[in-house]
Parts: sequence; C-alpha cells; structure tokens
Amino acid sequence: MKYSSYVGLEIHIHLLTQTKAFCSCAARFGDEPNTNVCPVCLGYPGVLPSLNEDALFMGYRVAHALGCELSRCTIFERKNYFYPDMPKNYQISQFAAPLGGAGYFDFEVRGGIKRLSIRECHFEEDAGKLVHAGTMTFIDYNRAGYPLLEIVTEPELVDGEEAEAFLRSFRRLVRHLGVCDGNMEEGSLRCDANVSVNEEGRGLGVKVELKNMNSSRFVRMGLDYEVKRQTARLKDGRKVEQETRLWNENRDVTETMRKKESASDYRYFPEPDLPPFCPEEAFLARVRDSAIELPLARKRRYLEAFALTEEQAELLLEERAVADYFESAVALGADPRSAALWIVGELRAQLARSGVEIASCALDPGRFTSLLKILAAGRIQTTIAKQVLRAVLEENRDPEDLIAERGWERISDRTVLASLVDEVLTREAAVVERIRSGDRKPIAFLMGEAMKASAGRAEPGALKELVMERLA
Amino acid sequence: MLDELRPWSGLLSDRKRRPGYEAYAADWEGRIGAFLQFAPERPAGADAAPAGASHDARGDFLGVPFAVKDNIAVEGFRMTCGSRILENFSVPYTATCVRRLQGRGALVVGKTNLDEFAMGSSCDNSALGRSSNPYDPVRVTGGSSGGSAAAVAAGVVPFALGTDTGGSVRQPASFCGVYGLKPSYGAVSRFGLAAYASSLEGAGVLARSVDIVEAVFRSMCGEDPLDQTSAASGRSLLAEDGPPRSVGLIKGLGGLDAEAEAAYRDALRALEDSGLRLVELDLPLLDYVLPAYYTIATAEASANLARYTGIAYGRRAAEAENPADLVRRSRTEGFGDEVKLRILLGTFVLRSGFQDRYYLKAQEIRRAIRDELAEALRRVDLIALPVFPTLAFPHGDTGMDQFQQKMADKFTCTANVAGLPALAVPTGLSKGLPTGIQLMAAAFREDRLFACARSLAPLYPVPEPPSFSQEFLK
Repeated sequence: MKYSSYVGLEIHIHLLTQTKAFCSCAARFGDEPNTNVCPVCLGYPGVLPSLNEDALFMGYRVAHALGCELSRCTIFERKNYFYPDMPKNYQISQFAAPLGGAGYFDFEVRGGIKRLSIRECHFEEDAGKLVHAGTMTFIDYNRAGYPLLEIVTEPELVDGEEAEAFLRSFRRLVRHLGVCDGNMEEGSLRCDANVSVNEEGRGLGVKVELKNMNSSRFVRMGLDYEVKRQTARLKDGRKVEQETRLWNENRDVTETMRKKESASDYRYFPEPDLPPFCPEEAFLARVRDSAIELPLARKRRYLEAFALTEEQAELLLEERAVADYFESAVALGADPRSAALWIVGELRAQLARSGVEIASCALDPGRFTSLLKILAAGRIQTTIAKQVLRAVLEENRDPEDLIAERGWERISDRTVLASLVDEVLTREAAVVERIRSGDRKPIAFLMGEAMKASAGRAEPGALKELVMERLA
Repeated sequence: MLDELRPWSGLLSDRKRRPGYEAYAADWEGRIGAFLQFAPERPAGADAAPAGASHDARGDFLGVPFAVKDNIAVEGFRMTCGSRILENFSVPYTATCVRRLQGRGALVVGKTNLDEFAMGSSCDNSALGRSSNPYDPVRVTGGSSGGSAAAVAAGVVPFALGTDTGGSVRQPASFCGVYGLKPSYGAVSRFGLAAYASSLEGAGVLARSVDIVEAVFRSMCGEDPLDQTSAASGRSLLAEDGPPRSVGLIKGLGGLDAEAEAAYRDALRALEDSGLRLVELDLPLLDYVLPAYYTIATAEASANLARYTGIAYGRRAAEAENPADLVRRSRTEGFGDEVKLRILLGTFVLRSGFQDRYYLKAQEIRRAIRDELAEALRRVDLIALPVFPTLAFPHGDTGMDQFQQKMADKFTCTANVAGLPALAVPTGLSKGLPTGIQLMAAAFREDRLFACARSLAPLYPVPEPPSFSQEFLK
C-alpha cells in the first residue's frame, strides 16, 4: 500500500509597524516588560480600538505579492477564547472577509520550482506573553496588540523538506517587502502546520495540528516525524487521531497537546467597534505601486541576464538591500560578474566585521563601480583593490583620490621595475646563486620579494619577465 | 449659558450655598440612594477647561455640576459598573462625552447607581447599592440608568449622563418623570463607556428640560478619533427644516397596563392638539425586536465582559491553583446572577453550528427592522411609542420578575436595534407616579425630537416629587 501525505502551513508574521495594531503604543521587541502598554492594549473597560492603517497596508502588500485577490471591503471579527495572556479574552481577527483571498507562491525545492496555493491572508492582533518562574507566572503585555498577518496555505506540501524550503523562500519574500524581519527565534515569524496521511488517491486523511516549531529546521524535523508517525500507524492498521501536537525540540518528537474534544469554539462574530475597512482606489494603487520583483524572479534574471552562479545569486538575494546595491552598480556600468564576486566576497566580509549596513556604507554603488572599473582597466592590482575598498569604508573617501594620493597605481614602467628587481637580487645574492646552480624553486621567493618592494603595485607579468631576464 | 443653568454655576465652590446643597442632597440620598460616589467637595473637571480661556469661551456649563452613570469613565472617580468585580477600579481616563462637557466648564459631582454592567430595568441588579424612586421609595427608579434619573428628578443635579443599550436612559427617565435622550447610534462617542452591547448602545442625557437635554447633546456629539464608529458631525446631524408635521402610531399596539395605556392615549391627543397629523403605521416586524435585541446584546456582552479576569485590574480571587483557575474564581465571585445569565446566553447563541439559528438570524431581523423603520420615517416625521408597559413598579417580588422586565423592553429596544434617536418625554403623574411617552426619529434627526418635545412642554409641566426644592440655589 502506498501513502500520500498532505501538509498545510499557517504562518504568522509580525508586521514591522511603528505602533501596535489598534493603539499608539510602540511595537518594539525586547523592551522592559509592560512598558509599551496602554488602556487599549491592556483591554481596560470602555476603551476602543483604532485601526492602524499602516499595518493593514503592509498586510495588503503581502497579499498582493502572493497573488491573492485583494478584498475591497474587509471586516474584523472577534475570535473568542480565554487565555491568561489575552487582555480582552478575544482577539480581533478576521474570518468571513479576510483582506486577501486565494493566491499562490512559487518556490524552489529539490532543484525545481513548486507552486503552493495560498488559501487566505488575514489580519489580527497578537497576545501577551506568559513567563513562568517556579510557582509564579508573570505576564508581559508588550506584545499584546502587535499587528500580525496570518497566511494560510492549502495542504499541498508533502514533507518537511518542502515546508522548510517554502518557509525559507517565504521569509526572504517578507524581508524583501520590508514588512517583517522574519526572525523565527524571536517569534516575529511563526509557523504552525497541519499534517495528514492517507492511502494514495483517497484525498486528505485525519488532520493533526502541529505547533511549537521555532525554526525552519524544527519545521522540517517536526513534519517529517509526524508524516512518519502517521504512516506507521496506518500501516499497522491503526487510526490517526484528530488532535493538536507540539514539537518537543529536546526529544525530537511530537507530543499530544490536546485532543479534538477539548478544541476551542471561537464563536467568531463581527467586531462592533471597528467599521469594515473598504479601501479607496488610491490605497489599492499604492499597494500595487509598492510591489517588488519577487526574489525568485530576480534570481532567474541574475542567472540568465548576468550569468551569475547559483550561489552568488542566492547570496545577493539574501538581503534586498544587497541585491539593490548590486543592481545599482550594474546600472552604473559595473561588470555584473565581478560586481557579484566583490559584493558577496570582500565587501560582505568587511561590512560584517564593522556591522555597517550596505545601504549606508561609505562605498556607495558609484564608488564601488569606479573601483571595479579602475581594477578592470589594470590600473591597480587585485590586492591593492581590497586595500582601496577597506580605505574607502574607513575613511569615506573617493577611490580615485585615495589611489592618486597614496600612489597605489600599478607600476608597469620597465625602468622603475628594473631598479626594484636589481635591488632585490643584490640583497638576495645567495638565493640568486642557488638558482643559477640549478635550484629553480626560490624563483617564486624572489618574485614575492620584488612585489613586496613595490608595495604590491608592480605589474606581475613585467616583473616576472625582468626577474627571469636577470637570472638568465 | 441657559438661564435655567445659571443658578447652578459656581454652586460647588460657593461657601455660602454649598452646605445647603449638601444637606439637600444628603436628605435625598438617604431615601433614594442615587449615587455610588458623591463628591461635591472635589468634583472632576475643573482641569479639563482649556488653560487661560475666558469664562465665556469656556462655555455653556461653566461651574455647573452634573452626575455620570458609573459605567462611564471619569478620571478622579472609580468606575464600578455597579459590580463587585470593579468595585475598587480607579479609571485612568475620561470618556469623550464627559470630557467634552468638562471642556465647556461642567463639573462631575458624582457617579450614579446602575444595574450591574447596565443589565436590567430596575437598578435592583446593582451589586453596590439600592436606588429608589423619588416619587415612592417602595418603587424602583427603573434602569439601568436609575441613579441618574433619580438624581435629576430629585433636583440634586441639573442633568446627568446615562447609557442606553435597550432603553436604559428612557425607561428610568420615564419612571422618574424627566426627559431622557438616546441619541442616534454614532452621534456621541462611546469611548469611555464600559461596553455591554457595543453595536446597540451609546451615552444619553437626562434632564428636567428639553433645552438642557439639547444643550448637553450638542456639546457631546461629533466624531471622535478614539471611537471609529462615531459619526462625523458634518452629516445631517442636527439639520433643521421646520417643525415636524406628522407622527406615526403603531397599529394594534397592546400589552400596556391601564395607567400606561391611559397616559399613552392622552399623550397622543396632546400631539394631535399641538398640530401634528397622526398616521397609523403597520410595522409587523416590531414583534421580532425583542428576540433579535437579546440575541445580539447577549452575544456582544459575552465577548465584552470576557476581559474582567482580575489579572491586569479589578477584583482578583484571593487564591487560585493556576492562571486559568484565577480567572474562573475571580469571575465567579465578581459577577452577579443577571450578568452571568447574559454571558451564558450570549455564549450559547454564538456557538459554532448554532449561529445560523440565532446570531445570524438576529442580524437579519435587525436589518429588516432598520429598513422597515427607515421606510416608515420617510412617510412620517416622528414615531410615537409608549416607553414601558407599566409605570414604576415596586422593588422585589411584588414588582416584575427579570423575564417580565425583558419582555417589557420591546418599545425601547426598537430604537437601539435600528440605531435611531429617541426621547422619553414626561407627561405628568398618574396616581402620584410619573408617566411618559417616547418619540423616535430618523437617524441624526434629533432636532425633530426636540421640536416636538418643546411643543408638548406647555401641556405637560415637568412634575416634582414630594419635598422637591431648589432653594439651595438662591
């Protein structure tokens, strides 16, 4: 008997707004507990929510990027359940008319491209956070009222590998959109899953919800474990129970959290405190105008138009700012392949060391392009180019000025080179003697010494010619 | 400032007059228990007036005291909602409607009693105090804004604010013989009103004159960024197009007791005498108002009251095994029976699989009622209705039980279900108890209510309860 598995995901992303979804408290991670709170997000009696339109705008942008149908009139509903960290004991969410309807997302997995259908995108608020310490329980409400977008996919994935690949691509998408930092460890991107297994050709099986997977790796491990567990049960002639399970990252297994009977009835109904959000055409136009080229399309373009390697393209596209930087340089006339090489190599390393963002570093795309052009024209050596790059970053100067001022241009003048070589040969007379008596090995050493004497600026071909001439 | 408010201005800061006022208020309090908090020595609001503003610019209520129902937030007072669960809750903000009055110089002198979380029609559901009718302390004030109605009727304040979810301003106003306005839904911001049924309720005004009701309403209304369901004042709000000419009556209206029926008939004659054309209306859907109202109200209440857990504020159970247990115990101890009943009802009608039968059906009925009334109010300028099927009933077992009280809400609930403005107008006394009639207009046509009430005013002088006096104002 063959079995098929069906995996769907529910992804929550924290939208990167200045303020919370329904009040003016700062939406900031990591502040002192209960400092970013007010009567609205604490659910005091008599206060009312005021919709943060920026948050909704970000939600619409994500929905648009996922090819979802954008709602012309989206409504808010109350999702009712008691939990100690929920200030109102209902969550303002969406149910009947979410902001984004059916859509899809293409991502790369196993060397090909898979299209996953998106069921919907809906807007909601986050709850607070319980912190247990011994016999005490503390509540931090800083997170209560954060704007969240929940993206629900159809159950079209088959295993952990696909889910992980999807999640990585999706994370890159929201980071490129600038609407979420995608940090799973801090909880600004969270992923729950539903998994079912059934005999091939017989449709979905009994659904198990899976929670508490705090990294894309755990998503893969949790789903693979669950698919295996369910398949094994079915093969044994046993049934899979409908339930919610948690991934236990210490034991690498999934464990029962609650059975179906104790599942919540959320009793959704329209939020009477918020009118429906029916955006005007201008709002939707802004959503469309702020659309970005999807990272996957961009990658294909890099491979085809610029002949970059797969790895280079991936590295460039890790951050949208890096890809934008790359394209700016190319637009200014930099050779794409060497630009890519330098960005993912030396520049990335230097920026990582200093902690400066590429978009604000002193080596702007203009300076970077002129540096590459100087190098391509053979006016400086590669090692010198690295030196120039570092100097520009540290001193915020023009590469051309630095090269001129410090005399870093390549030396090709044969008389200058000849006197350098003679100087080295005279100093290293013993080595010269060894070479002349048949030991060819130290030639490289002499070349190195001569290059050093030129402070790295000598044109290697000419230098070698001169050394060989003198040794002959 | 209205002439009739002028004597009240500065009363609280007047060393000569205040003792007389306090004595008068204390005398009434002993009999009617209108207030849960009363603080003439430290009223709230003086700071709210714009600094440096001249007395004139500070407005129409400079130094005028008023009372606020205790489910409306006023910084400086507790907001108890008449419930043990909020008994000691000091609220750190002020409702927009109160703030706007404070901005014109008015001073909150106290917080009035109510049915717990505004759930009731007698004020007897308050967990924190018992209020009685100034005309006969054996009888109820009506509710839920009973304390506000009693305080105004007794002449302890020139006006008071209440909230009206299904008649909670109009019915006690009528029981106590004063005017009671329930504005159009959205006309007055709900920010600062402890929510019971958000889509039905709003702040209202109780006073002994139409002029005061109108002045207070005009000061309170208008869009508020803190309430996104509040309506822009630029709408037809307060349009004036001459006095109303026609009034609709409901055909086949029944269920009134003898005194209420007689008073209602008398008021209809008075409307006709004042020059209005009476038009009989057939509104078959009105029979469905009550079930729709209680379904929607309890559904919203079940969510609105879920926040009272004793965790971040309010009464917290002394002992608990864990956070969930803490919530359960705090709510069990903190809520009264009527509140628990309505939370349970609301939870029931929202269950998945049952929404079609209850909540969604109620919303459908609501839309139909709204359409039917809108259509009727294109044919007539106003609709006249009784306020309640009885006059003020006695406390306790000899009065009405909770179910009868709910059934009796049918005349007042209509305006809430349809979002329309309605005004209870006092029409004198019958066997020593106040009577009244209710006028209802199209949304944002409060002007028609005021115009019609003014034309009735000469026929129905506002009654005064025994031992009523305003001597302390002199």
